[in-house]
Amino acid sequence: MAKQPMLKFVSIERDMPKKRSATERAEDFKEIYAEFAAEKAKEQASRCSQCGVPYCQSHCPLHNNIPDWLHLTAEGRLQEAYEVSQATNSFPEICGRICPQDRLCEGNCVIEQSGHETVTIGAVEKYITDTAWQEGWVQPLAPARELDKSVGIIGAGPGGLAAADRLRRAGFQVTIYDRYDRAGGLLTYGIPGFKLEKDIVMRRNQQLVDGGVTLKLNCNIGEDITFEALRAQHDAVIVATGVYKIRDLDVPGGALSGVVQALDFLATSNRENFGDDVPEFTSGALNAADKNVVVIGGGDTAMDCVRTAIRQGATSVKCMYRRDRANMPGSQREVENAEEEGVVFEWLSAPEAFVNDLKIQDVKTVAGQAGPVRGVLGHKMRLGAPDATGRRMPEVIEGSRYVEKADLVIKALGFEPEDLPHLFDQPELPVTRWGTVKAEFGSGKTALPGVYAVGDIVRGASLVVWAIKDGQDTANAIIAELQPSAAIAAE
Amino acid sequence: MTYENTTAFGPDWMKQQDQKRQWMTQNSLYREEDEHASCGVGLVVSINGKASRKVVENGIAALKAVWHRGAVDADGKTGDGAGIHVQIPVRFFYDQIRRTGHEPRQDELVAVGQVFLPRADFGAQETCRSIVESEVLRMGYYIYGWRHVPVEVSCLGEKANATRPEIEQILISNSKGVDEETFERDLYVIRRRIEKSAAASGVGQLYIASLSCRSIIYKGMMLAEQVAVFYPDLMDERFTSAFAIYHQRYSTNTFPQWWLAQPFRMLAHNGEINTLKGNVNWMKSHEIRMASTAFGETAEDIKPIVPSGSSDSAALDAVFEALVRAGRNAPMAKTMLVPETWSKQGKDLPDAWRDMYSYCNSVMEPWDGPAALAMTDGRWVCAGLDRNGLRPMRYVVTGDGLLIAGSETGMVPVDEATVREKGALGPGQLLAVDMSDGKLYHDTAIKDKLAAAQPFGSWVEKINELDAPLARVTEAPLFTGADLRQRQIAAGYSIEELEQILAPMAEDGKETLASMGDDTPSAVLSKKYRPLSHYFRQNFSQVTNPPIDSLREYRVMSLKTRFGNLKNVLDESSAQTEILVLDSPFVGNAQWEELTRHFNAPMVEIDCSFAVGSGPSALQTGLERIRAEAEDAVRSGAGHLVLSDHASNAEKIAMPMILATSAVHSHLTRKGLRTFCSLNVRSAECIDPHYFAVLIGAGATVVNAYLAEDSLNDRIERGLLNGTLTEVVSRYREAIDQGLLKIMSKMGISVISSYRGGLNFEAVGLSRAMCAEYFPGLMSRISGIGVSGVQKKAEEIHAAAWQGATGVLPMGGFYKSRKTGETHAWEAQTMHMMQTACDRASFDLWKQYSARMQSNPPIHLRDLLAVKPIGDPVPLEEVESITAIRRRFVTPGMSLGALSPEAHKTLNVAMNRIGAKSDSGEGGEDPAHFHPEPNGDNPSAKIKQVASGRFGVTAEYLNQCEELEIKVAQGAKPGEGGQLPGMKVTDLIARLRHSTKGVTLISPPPHHDIYSIEDLAQLIYDLKQINPRCKVTVKLVASSGVGTIAAGVAKAEADVILISGHNGGTGASPATSIKFAGLPWEMGLTEAHQVLAMNNLRDRITLRTDGGLRTGRDIIMAAMMGAEEFGIGTAALIAMGCIMVRQCQSNTCPVGVCTQNEELRSKFTGSADKVVNLITFYAQEVREILASIGARSLDEIIGRADLLGQVSRGAEHLDDLDLNPLLIRVDGADTVVYNRDRPRNTVPDTLDAEIVRDAARFLQDGEKMQLSYSVQNTHRTVGTRISSHIVTKFGMRNALQEDHLTIKLTGSAGQSLGAFAAPGLKLQVSGDANDYVGKGLSGGMIVVRPAMTSPLVAADNTIIGNTVLYGATDGHLFASGRAGERFGVRNSGAKAVVEGCGSNGCEYMTGGVAVILGTVGANFGAGMTGGMAYIYDPDSLAQSRMNMETLVTCPVTIVHWQEQLKSLISRHAEETGSPKAHDILRQWDVEKDHFLQVCPKEMLVHLPHPLSDEAKSIPAE
Repeated sequence: MAKQPMLKFVSIERDMPKKRSATERAEDFKEIYAEFAAEKAKEQASRCSQCGVPYCQSHCPLHNNIPDWLHLTAEGRLQEAYEVSQATNSFPEICGRICPQDRLCEGNCVIEQSGHETVTIGAVEKYITDTAWQEGWVQPLAPARELDKSVGIIGAGPGGLAAADRLRRAGFQVTIYDRYDRAGGLLTYGIPGFKLEKDIVMRRNQQLVDGGVTLKLNCNIGEDITFEALRAQHDAVIVATGVYKIRDLDVPGGALSGVVQALDFLATSNRENFGDDVPEFTSGALNAADKNVVVIGGGDTAMDCVRTAIRQGATSVKCMYRRDRANMPGSQREVENAEEEGVVFEWLSAPEAFVNDLKIQDVKTVAGQAGPVRGVLGHKMRLGAPDATGRRMPEVIEGSRYVEKADLVIKALGFEPEDLPHLFDQPELPVTRWGTVKAEFGSGKTALPGVYAVGDIVRGASLVVWAIKDGQDTANAIIAELQPSAAIAAE
Repeated sequence: MTYENTTAFGPDWMKQQDQKRQWMTQNSLYREEDEHASCGVGLVVSINGKASRKVVENGIAALKAVWHRGAVDADGKTGDGAGIHVQIPVRFFYDQIRRTGHEPRQDELVAVGQVFLPRADFGAQETCRSIVESEVLRMGYYIYGWRHVPVEVSCLGEKANATRPEIEQILISNSKGVDEETFERDLYVIRRRIEKSAAASGVGQLYIASLSCRSIIYKGMMLAEQVAVFYPDLMDERFTSAFAIYHQRYSTNTFPQWWLAQPFRMLAHNGEINTLKGNVNWMKSHEIRMASTAFGETAEDIKPIVPSGSSDSAALDAVFEALVRAGRNAPMAKTMLVPETWSKQGKDLPDAWRDMYSYCNSVMEPWDGPAALAMTDGRWVCAGLDRNGLRPMRYVVTGDGLLIAGSETGMVPVDEATVREKGALGPGQLLAVDMSDGKLYHDTAIKDKLAAAQPFGSWVEKINELDAPLARVTEAPLFTGADLRQRQIAAGYSIEELEQILAPMAEDGKETLASMGDDTPSAVLSKKYRPLSHYFRQNFSQVTNPPIDSLREYRVMSLKTRFGNLKNVLDESSAQTEILVLDSPFVGNAQWEELTRHFNAPMVEIDCSFAVGSGPSALQTGLERIRAEAEDAVRSGAGHLVLSDHASNAEKIAMPMILATSAVHSHLTRKGLRTFCSLNVRSAECIDPHYFAVLIGAGATVVNAYLAEDSLNDRIERGLLNGTLTEVVSRYREAIDQGLLKIMSKMGISVISSYRGGLNFEAVGLSRAMCAEYFPGLMSRISGIGVSGVQKKAEEIHAAAWQGATGVLPMGGFYKSRKTGETHAWEAQTMHMMQTACDRASFDLWKQYSARMQSNPPIHLRDLLAVKPIGDPVPLEEVESITAIRRRFVTPGMSLGALSPEAHKTLNVAMNRIGAKSDSGEGGEDPAHFHPEPNGDNPSAKIKQVASGRFGVTAEYLNQCEELEIKVAQGAKPGEGGQLPGMKVTDLIARLRHSTKGVTLISPPPHHDIYSIEDLAQLIYDLKQINPRCKVTVKLVASSGVGTIAAGVAKAEADVILISGHNGGTGASPATSIKFAGLPWEMGLTEAHQVLAMNNLRDRITLRTDGGLRTGRDIIMAAMMGAEEFGIGTAALIAMGCIMVRQCQSNTCPVGVCTQNEELRSKFTGSADKVVNLITFYAQEVREILASIGARSLDEIIGRADLLGQVSRGAEHLDDLDLNPLLIRVDGADTVVYNRDRPRNTVPDTLDAEIVRDAARFLQDGEKMQLSYSVQNTHRTVGTRISSHIVTKFGMRNALQEDHLTIKLTGSAGQSLGAFAAPGLKLQVSGDANDYVGKGLSGGMIVVRPAMTSPLVAADNTIIGNTVLYGATDGHLFASGRAGERFGVRNSGAKAVVEGCGSNGCEYMTGGVAVILGTVGANFGAGMTGGMAYIYDPDSLAQSRMNMETLVTCPVTIVHWQEQLKSLISRHAEETGSPKAHDILRQWDVEKDHFLQVCPKEMLVHLPHPLSDEAKSIPAE
C-alpha cells in the first residue's frame, strides 16, 4: 500500500497547466493552456482518491476509466495510461480539451464534492494522449483481419469518426461522406483553434485514412449521391450529419448587414486559420476587427464567438444573455476565460431588435430599417418562477429598455436538425416532431433496416463526447449484428 | 411404567423428533454434522495403579463440580451428556455373574460390554442381543450372560428419559485363554463387527459404549452431577478403579442422543477438531495399508476405522483406538495425532523430539483444533493438550498419590496440607501415568521416553528437504508478450486484479487491504465471468472454537508440505521416511522444473484441457479422461501426478483447475490410491491466496501459479517492479503463504497437511450433483452452476481471448466499481438519490431510490424472491406506527477509531432520538457521552460492544447501556483480527482505549476468553453480573452451521443473536477476506431461525440481522426469514455523507466520516436529522408494504418464510438454483411468540448475592468492611456484581481506599475471579483460582496466595489459570504462584506480579506493568505495543522465548524503572507473603541485575525516562 502514490489530495492542492496571459492569447488562435510538465501531471493525477464508486466515471458519457489512467499516470506509466484511456474513448485528447469537465467528471469528482477541489481530469487526459502522439505510441489502425462488410457513414463529425474508428478496427470497410472539404465536422470548422488546435483533428483524420477508411469529401447526400444508392452500396449506413439548421432569432432588424450567424462566423475564422482564401473574411463581413461586437446567447457557441472576436481584434465584445451567470448553459470555465480576455457579459439582457441607430425606441418603430447594424435594442430581465422543468423563466423588467452599441451582431442561439427525410428524399426515415431522427437507444437503429443514426441528429445539439459515445455504441451494434464473433473482441 | 405415556415426551415424540431432524437435514439449511460439542473434562488416577474406591468417588465429585461447563435443556434436567470411564471392578462383576447363575471362571479374564439397546421395540432389542452374542461366539469367547443395568430414571429430564435406551451389560469370559492384549484386540474387532452387522441389519439404536476386559464406561444424557445417581453401580462400595476419566458435554443442539455422551472408548475430549474432514479423508487412504498390517485377516472388519457420521471427538477416538489396538501406547498415539508444534519451536526443543515429530509428520496429518484430552489405553492414563493450548488442563498431585487433572482446579477438594504439586499443562504438553510401573511422567520425561523408544533420528535422515535446492534456482517465465496477454484474458485476469491484487503482493509481500463491504452479486448470480474459486466461501470459526492469530502466533502454524508415498502409518521403520518436504505449497516456474528433478518416483503429467467445439459434454468427458489417466498412472507406479492447464491454446480450452484437481483427488481417494502419489497442480487462473487455498483444499499437494508469475515478469520487464523475477516471486510467495496461513487460521487450523483435501469451504451456487461427484463432502445448499454451465463459461472466456483481436485486458470492477465491470449495489446515482432524500426529508425521492435499487440486476439471493400477501391490503392507518417500526432498527457496531468522533456521535444521537439503538462498536466511548447534551440529546450508544480487543471495556462502560454485544465475528472478515494503525490513534482514542497516542492497537482474531461454547456462556454470565439489567447480544456471521451455534448461544443464556451477512462493512480488511468468507445473511438467518425453532429455543431469543439491508423490501424479506431487528450500517454512513470511496483504511476519507484527520473531519456534513430521516424512510416503506400485503404489524410476518416465493431461477446456464431450503417453515414455528420486551434470560446468582447483602453498610454509607467466605470452583465471577454496585454508587473514579471492601476467600475460586472489579474492592484468595482472573479489571485489587498450610513452593506451582487480566484497564493483581497461558493478554493498565507464566504471556498488551518472578512460556510479548514487563531471569532463558517483533529488551539499569520494579515486588511480598519476593528483595543489589526489562519499540519515544543509557541509540521505528 505504501507504494501507491495516490490519495494525495490531502496534501497537494489542485493545479491546472499554466494559462497563457490574456493579452498574449488574444494575439493568436493557439490553445490557451500549456501542456502539463511530466512531473506536474504525475503530481496532479496522484490527487485522485481512487474511489470505490468513481463518480467521475459515472458522469462521463463514455464511462472512461478515469481513476485507472490517473493511477497509471501518477505511476509514470503513460503508455499504459494511454491504452486504457484510448480503450473507451476514440479521441481522448479532443475530449480532454473541449469537454465541459466542470459539468461532467470534474464537477462530480468526489473530492471536489467534499470540498477539496477536483482532480484536473481533463488536463491529464489531454496530456496522456498528446504524449502518446509525441512518443509514437499511437498505432495506426490495423485490423487483425479484413471483413467483407462495408459501412457508409454520412458525416465526418465526432460521431461519424468515432464509429468509423471502431468499425475499422474490427475489420469493416468504411466510407465516410461529408459535405465539407475537410473532415471533422464541428471539430474542424465549429470549434475555434484556441480550444482545439486543428492539427489535433487533422492527425486523427489522417489516422483513419491511413488505417484504410475512405473519405468522400464535398459530397452532399441527395445531390452527389442518393441515399438509396448508399444503402445499396453498404451493409449498413450511419446517419451522423449533426444539426446545422440555424435556430434564428426572429426579431426586427435581422436583415441589417453585420447581423450574422455564429457558425458562419466561426467557420470563416477557422478557414482563415487554415490559410484558406476566405472572401467573407477579407471583405470584413465576417471579421470582427475594429468593431464593437455583440454576441447573442449563453451557450458554448456564444463563448466561442466572443473569444474569436477578441482574437480578431474587436474594439469591444459583449455577450447578451437573458438569464444570469448561474443559469447559463455554457461552461463556467469558458466564461472565466472570456472575461479574462476582455469580454463583457450582459447578464439578464434580451434583444428585442437589431437597429441601425442608437435611439431607445419602441420595437414597433424599427420595422423596415436597412443598412448596417449599429446596435442592439434590448431589455433587462429578471428570473421569475420556475417552469415545469424547474428552470426559472426570465421575465422582462418593464421600462428597462436600452441600446447596446454594435457593429457586428453574432447570433449564437443554437442549431436544429435539417429536414433529413426531405433532403435525403427518404420519407420513411422516421423523425421526431423536433426533426431529430428516431433511433433506438444504445444501438442507434432506425426503423429503416440497416440504417443507424448517431450524435446530434438523434439527440439535438449536444456535446462532442455524446456523439463519440453514440458512434461507438452504434459501431458495436453493427459489429454484433454483422459479425457476431468479432463482437467479443470489441468488448 | 406409564411415565412415558403421560407426558409429551413419549416414544412417539422421539420418533417425531427423529423424523423432524431427518426432514430438516434434507430440506432445510440444518445439517446434523454442524453440531458442536464442548465441555469439561478430566481424570483421576492413582499413580501406583492400585484400584480404590476413592478414585471413583473423586471422579464422581469432579463431575459434580463441572455442571456449569455444560448446558441444561429447558426442562432443567436434560443435560447434553456426561459420563465416567473406570476400570472394571472385577469383584463387583463376579458378584453380578454369580447372580446370573454362573460361577465366574477366576482364572480367565472377564470382559464387560456396556450396551445401549433400543428400549421401546422388544423385537429390535432381541435382534441386537443376538447380533452381539453371535459376534462374541464367532470369535470364540464364552458368554456368561446379560445384566440389566439398574438405573434411577427419576433424575432424568423428560426428553432424556424419552430417548433413554435400554442399558445392559454383556459379561464375557476369556475362554480362549489369550493374553490380555490379544483379548482386548479381539474385543475391539468383535465390537467393530457388531457395529457393522447392526448397520447391515438396519438396527439403528444398538450402541456399545465400551467392550473391554479392562475398563467400562457409564454415560448418558443426565446432568453431570446425576451420573452416579442414575447409575447406582457407581455408588457400590465394591466399585473400585485405579483411574476415572470423566466428561461433561455442552452441545449446541438440544436433541438428546445418548451415544454422543463422552467419554468414548479411549478418550474424552474437550474442544473441537477443525480438520476433521481432511483427517477423515486421509484416513480412508491410510487405513488400507494400516489395517492389514495390524489386523491381518480381520482387517476388513475394522474398516472404515472412522465410522461414518462420527462426531469429531468420536472420530479422533476411533483412530486413537485403532492405533492403540495396533500396538502404540496412549502417549505415542497422542503424539502422533495431536503433536506439539515443533518446526518453528526455536532452540529449546531437543533434537530427539524434533526427530520424533518429524517422523510423525511424515506419516500422519495432525488432528488439529482445540483439545484437552483425557485418555487411557488400559495401562497408561494421560492428559494432553493441543499445540495451541486452547483448552485449560489444570492438575494436582495429592499427598496420597493421586493425579487429578481437569478443566478446572478445585473440582476435587484435596488436602492442601499434603499436596505435592499443582500445575497446568501448556500447549502440546502431555502428562502420563504408567499404572503398571506406578510412575508419573511429566511432559519432558514422557517425551524423552517416547523419543528414545525408536531410532527416529536415523529414520528421518532420509527426509529430503527441498527448500535449499529450490531457493537456488533462477526464476523464468513460461509465456511472454502477446501470448501472455491472450492467456491472461483466457484466465479471466483483469487490470484491476493485476494492479490491485497481484502487484501489491509482489511489491510488499502482503495482501492488499480494502474497506467497506461487498456489494457485488454472488458468483452464481453474476453475468460476468467469475473464476470457480468465487463459488467457494471460506469456513471460519466462531464460538465453538477460536481462530488463530497467524501473525502473532505464527510459530504454531506450518505450511510444511510433504510429497511422495506415505507408507503405512503403522510401520515403525525408516521405510516411510523417504519423502520430500517443502516449506510451502507454493512453487515457482523454475522451481517446478527443479522439483521434478528431485522426484524419487515416476511422474506423469495430465493435460487438463479440452478441445474447442467438442460438444456440450466436452468438459464432463474431459474430467472422466483425467480421472482415468490419473488412476492408470498411479496403478502403473507413478508417484507424482501433474495436473496442468498450460497446454491450453487457441484450439484447447483450459479446465477450471479447481474442478480438475478435486475430480482427480476425490477419484483417487475413492479408489484408495491418493496416498500413493502427490498431486501437483499448475494453474493459469490461480492468482490470489483464496484460489491457492481452494486448490489445496481440493487436494493439491503443491501449486504453481505460472501465469501469475509470468504476469509479474511482464511487470518487471516494463520497469514496474524492482528486483529480479526470483526476488519478486519470493515476495509473492511470502504473500501467498501469509494468505494461506490467514485462511487456515481463521477456521482454527494451524497445519496445512491437515487442511489439504478437507474442502473446508461452503459452496454458494454450485450444483449439488456436481458437488456430489467432484467435490464430495462440500456443502452446497442452494445448488446452481453445474459442469455444463462451467463449460459454457470456460468457452466464453476462451473465445474472448483467442478469437478476439484487441488483446486488451478487461478493466475489472470486482473490488471497486467500474462501469464495464461487475454490478455494485451502491452506485453514484442511487447514493446521490438516497442522500438527497435524507437531506430534504423527501419520502418521494426515497421511493425513487428504492425502486432504482430494486431494478438492479439480481445481486442477492433475495432478489430472486417475491413477497406473497397474507391477505387483502389493509388501510395504512391500521398498520403499526412508524415509531414502533423504527425501534427495531440498530446501527451496527462501528467503532470510534474507524469512524470519526463526529460521525460516531451523530449515529448515537440520531438513534436515541427515535428510540432505536446504536452500537458503540469496539473501542469504548467517551465518558462525557454518559451525560445528555445541553439540548437534551443523548450521545451514548444504547448498545455497548465487547470485542476481542476489549478496548475501553471498563466496569463503567459496561454499566452505561441497555445491551451488551459480544462481537464474535465481523461480516467483512470473520475469523480475523484487526489493527488500528498508529496514525489513527489520536489523543481522544488513546484515552478511550487506555493506550498511547500514535501507537498501533491490535484486536486479536479470537476472544481469548471464548475458545468454546462454554467459554462464551461464561462471558455472558460475567456480563450479566457486571450489568444487572442489560441484555446480552451475540454477534455471529452467517456460515454453514450457524444455526447450531445459535442454539448453543441461546442455551448460554444470550438474549439477542445477531446474524451478520458476509457483505457487512469494515474499516480495513484484506481484500480477499471481504470477498470470500462468510455467507449471505439470507442463508445464515434462515438457518438460525429454523434450528432455534426446531429446538424450541426461538422464543428465548431476539434475532437480528444486518449486512446490505438497503430498502424497506429488504427489511420485509429479512423479517419473513426470521429477523425481528435490523442493522443499518453502510446506508447510515451514506446518509451521513459517505460516498463509498473505499479508502477507510488510509485515513483519507474525503468526507470526514471515516477518518481521524482533523482537516478531513471538518468536511463532515452528516447530521442526526439525516439519519433519523433514513430510518424513518425504511420504516415508512415497511409500513406501506405491510399494508399492501395485508399485515398490520411486523410481528405478523416474522418467520413467515412461506410468504416468500422464488420467482427467478437465475441465469439460463444454471442447473436448478433452488432457494427452497431458505423458505422452509419448521413445525411449531407458528406458535413462537416474538416479544422483544421480555425480560432478559436469567442466570444463577453468584457468591456476590451474599456479598451484596453482607456489604450493605459499605454500599449505603461507604463504611470500610472486610468479609470472609469459602469458595470452590463452582463459585464463578466473584466480585463482579458488587463492582457493578460500586460503579453505580461511587463511580469509577471514586475516592475509596484500595481495600475499602476487602473480601477474603478460602479455597479454589471459580472462573472470572474479580472480573471487571472496580476500585475500592480487594479480593484476597487463599488457595488458587481458575481461568480469567481479573478479566477486564477496572481498578480493583486481586491477591491470590496458597493456603497457609500448603507445603508447595509457590513459584513452581500454578495458582491462577489461563487468560488472566484479559482486557484489564486498571488495578492490581498479585499472585504468589505461576499463571497459565496468555497471562496479561491485552492488558492496558493493570499492574501485576506473578511468579511465572505459560506461553503467550503479555500478548497484545498495550499498557500496565507485568512483573514475572519466574520462567515464562514461549512467544512472550507477541504483538505487545504498550506497557512494560519485567522478567526475573537469572538463567537467561527468557530471551529465547520472546517474540521480538515489536519489542526491545534490556537489563533494568535506570533508577526510575528500578524503583517501579522494586515497589511492585515489595507490594507483592507484602500482599502475598511470597518467599520468592522476599528473597529477591533481601538481595536486591544482586538480584536487580537478574531482571530483563521488556518494552515495545513503538513506546520508546513516549517513555518518560529512557530504558537505558544506550537505549537512545535504538531507533524508534
